[in-house]
Amino acid sequence: MDLDQTISELYSAFVSQLEQAWSLESVEAVRVEALGRKGKLSEISKDFGKLPGEERKKAGARLNQVKQDLQRRLESRKAELSSAALEARLESEWLDLTAPAPGPRPGSLHPVTQVQREIEELFISLGFTVLDGPEVETEFYNFDALNIPSDHPARDMQDTFWLKDGRLLRTHTSPVQVRGLERLGPPLRMIAPGRVFRNEEVDASHEHTFYQLEGMMVDRDVSVAHLIYFMKTLLSAVFRREVTVRLRPGYFPFVEPGFELDIQCLICAGKGCPVCKQTGWVELLPCGLVNPAVLRYSGVDPEQWNGFAFGLGLTRLAMMRYGVDDIRLFLSGDLRFLRQF
Amino acid sequence: MKFSYNWLRELVDGLSAPAGELARRITLKTAECEGVEETGGDWIIEVDNKSLTHRPDLWGHYGMAREVAAIFGKKLVDPVKRRDIPGAPAIGVRIEDYSLCPRYSALALDHVTVRPSPGWMAERLKSVGLNAINNIVDVTNYVMAELAQPMHAFDAAKLQGGIVVRRAGSGEEIAALNGESYKLDASNLVIADGSGAVAIAGVIGGAGSSICESTTRIVLESANFNASSVRKTSSRLKLRTDASMRFEKAQDPMNTIRGLERALELLEQVCPGIRLAGGVADAYRPAPPPAPIALPVEWLSRKLGRAMGPSEVRAILESLEFQVTETGAGVFSVVAPSWRATKDVCTKDDLVEEIGRMVGYDSIVPAAPLAPVRAPHANPQREFQHRVREMAAAQGFTEVKNYSFVSEEMARAFSLDPSAHVEVANPIAADQNLLRRSLLPGIWKNIRDNARYFDSFRLFEIGRAIALEGETPHFAAAIFSKGDGAAGLYELKRLAECLLPGASARPAESSESYEHPHRVANIVHGETALGRLFEFHPRMVELGRAAVLDMDLALMEKMQRPRPRYEPLRRFPASAFDLSVVAPGRALIADVEAELSRHAGRDLLSIAFLGDFALEDGRRSLSFRLTAGAWDRTLTSEEVNAMRSSIIEGLRQSGFELRL
Repeated sequence: MDLDQTISELYSAFVSQLEQAWSLESVEAVRVEALGRKGKLSEISKDFGKLPGEERKKAGARLNQVKQDLQRRLESRKAELSSAALEARLESEWLDLTAPAPGPRPGSLHPVTQVQREIEELFISLGFTVLDGPEVETEFYNFDALNIPSDHPARDMQDTFWLKDGRLLRTHTSPVQVRGLERLGPPLRMIAPGRVFRNEEVDASHEHTFYQLEGMMVDRDVSVAHLIYFMKTLLSAVFRREVTVRLRPGYFPFVEPGFELDIQCLICAGKGCPVCKQTGWVELLPCGLVNPAVLRYSGVDPEQWNGFAFGLGLTRLAMMRYGVDDIRLFLSGDLRFLRQF
Repeated sequence: MKFSYNWLRELVDGLSAPAGELARRITLKTAECEGVEETGGDWIIEVDNKSLTHRPDLWGHYGMAREVAAIFGKKLVDPVKRRDIPGAPAIGVRIEDYSLCPRYSALALDHVTVRPSPGWMAERLKSVGLNAINNIVDVTNYVMAELAQPMHAFDAAKLQGGIVVRRAGSGEEIAALNGESYKLDASNLVIADGSGAVAIAGVIGGAGSSICESTTRIVLESANFNASSVRKTSSRLKLRTDASMRFEKAQDPMNTIRGLERALELLEQVCPGIRLAGGVADAYRPAPPPAPIALPVEWLSRKLGRAMGPSEVRAILESLEFQVTETGAGVFSVVAPSWRATKDVCTKDDLVEEIGRMVGYDSIVPAAPLAPVRAPHANPQREFQHRVREMAAAQGFTEVKNYSFVSEEMARAFSLDPSAHVEVANPIAADQNLLRRSLLPGIWKNIRDNARYFDSFRLFEIGRAIALEGETPHFAAAIFSKGDGAAGLYELKRLAECLLPGASARPAESSESYEHPHRVANIVHGETALGRLFEFHPRMVELGRAAVLDMDLALMEKMQRPRPRYEPLRRFPASAFDLSVVAPGRALIADVEAELSRHAGRDLLSIAFLGDFALEDGRRSLSFRLTAGAWDRTLTSEEVNAMRSSIIEGLRQSGFELRL
């Protein structure tokens, strides 16, 4: 048989083998059999030595051409097969992405925390320091230093939980005014959010445990105009709109003059509705200029310094913001309620 | 306090504003009106008592009428027309301690006929919430409601001799008008006659000397008592009366005689035939006159943040009957009227309020202060707590807030000694008498309550644990689930490690009764114990498993990683190899890891735990990947092998088997 024909036959055989190779392994087997060091085409070239020069050259060229062609076919077959394999793998990897994703969802912060954080951030941006005070207070800080001596009728304004050791649970966050001034001295801009206690019967609008935020600014020349300015800034930020406020006389022994600050009802824009009891105004926060007696108790000279102070009911604000109609829910630990925020 | 619109109109000449408008203006300028109610041709304005705490004068219509007259620029009409009751006193009055009773005025009358008051008087009393009783008692109440001066009428026939105002004897008893009997001591002031106490001063009269149908001679008391003394007595006896409520606000001693004059005039109307038995008995030691207050108008303007003219200031103060004298350019000397001088007005700051409210706070334009900007003081504890909150919420925990009160039973359930708690003297309920030393009782309740509605949940609280020695902020978190509970514990362990990198769980040597005895660990950072990780004992939680983490936030905050200092990045590659250690069934991974690291030498960079396989014989195969490297060169394979051999040798000597 002539060499040329042998090469052609081998070529055709390998081509058809390749066409029937359905896996990368069988393609590889074809390659080894055809082009491997001990493969059939390599074996053939061993016989070339016997051929005369001109024919040897011709056969070599023919063999090379066949090898290159087979190499190309091998590669293209391999590519075909691996792309089919990838295709098949991808196909088998179908996922139902509507299946619920595992792992916990974020929980939520308590509504009072959320309101409190927001107001803290606002006041920090206005240069106020956030201070903490103890929940168990002394009579001195809770009352005396705030100009409420023991036989003063103002003590009736806050029903107090007394402790057997003579101390008490703070009835307001105002003691932090005195503690803050004692510790940091004037000038001072501070707020003190925290838990307070009143010995009251609990119902949908009364709790014995709730949250307040105290604020105070002491500087050289603080006026009622400055107080109104800060309160308007605070409330516009809290309610995210311009608010109209009014001051009217209010009595708190630790401020003089003392005010109740009302905001124009946001529901009816002052026209009168059930929320504002038809008055057009909602009582929001007590405030005033710091009573010189409080400054003196705090070791600050009222001839040199003065200030304003205010108290904000955080629990009440959270009720207003989220439309909560039962104050008892806040400390209920009921996740059906708390998960809504 | 109820105010009758018609009554106020009698006292303010030409008042035409309707009741609603009147109430609105009073709210803006004086005190909070809570509502206006129409009743039989009159309107009753309800004023919040709290907003009258500092105003003794506003506990009667005349005081409020003075405010109204000033607000509307009208003329005030004094209801006291009759003046200067003539004659020598027909009754002796003696005060033992003028500091407790600055003034005691009394008037004796005879030819008295006790009978019901005429309709107009009964109606008026009823409209302001006072019961009509008889003409004599009604007159005393009428004067109180009008002039804020509490009065009392004794049946003169039942008094033995003159009146003495003195401290009660220890254990002295008195049967009061309300049918109760009170045991007194020396801290209580009484009105006494020759036979004993006939009234508790400023609080209530005695039953024995009260007016009855057969009374024909009376003694009217119009006195002034020390505010704190009345308040103390009234609180100690738990007896608040219309009189004590007024006296504790510090009434005006100048008002007693006016009270008698007005009463006499009214008695002549409602008790025809009544006659003076004598003149006014008046024991009185006047207090020093109120000190003038220097009021610089410029200072006042600065305080209000609104320019005030001197004439405006003077007009306002005079409308409220302050005496105003100009002592220098722009400086007034101001004397408060007697009815404002007892406690209410004594500093220039008090005058800021008088001017401010009358000129109208709405006339003040809000202004930003001209104060230097300063960075606020840092509060790292609070900032840390907020970070903890955010992280816990991001990991699926919902924030709860629980009460600070626990019962003794609950304290015991959490292995806490009730006597080591701060105790409330007047708790809201008998079983809410202790302050929580731990957040766990609250968390436990949350778990039980919510397990009724959810199969699984995560919650946390940040709150104060209150001990006798002080308050400590704590973080407590819980995971409730239906499974075997292990996942919850590891989740909480992970949370602890996230909140405080470097924290780890170390098995606890003993457990509390509420803890699962084999699922409990201390959370430590170095040698500092920060908290506890455990599963609730199955006895404590039905329906599922509850894992709990309780950490001391103050300690955590202190243990936080200091600000990092940059280290150059490693330049030479590290090499890694795996080891599997066969360990007893209850060996601790942390112990094996420590053992590995002990034998590894200084080139060990890290150990990563790979897996835990249970062997058939009950032991476990624990796999680790160790990474080794040197700072200044690439370790040779001989060096890495040497490390591996040294670890293997070391572990074998410690009794572990290695699967190689």
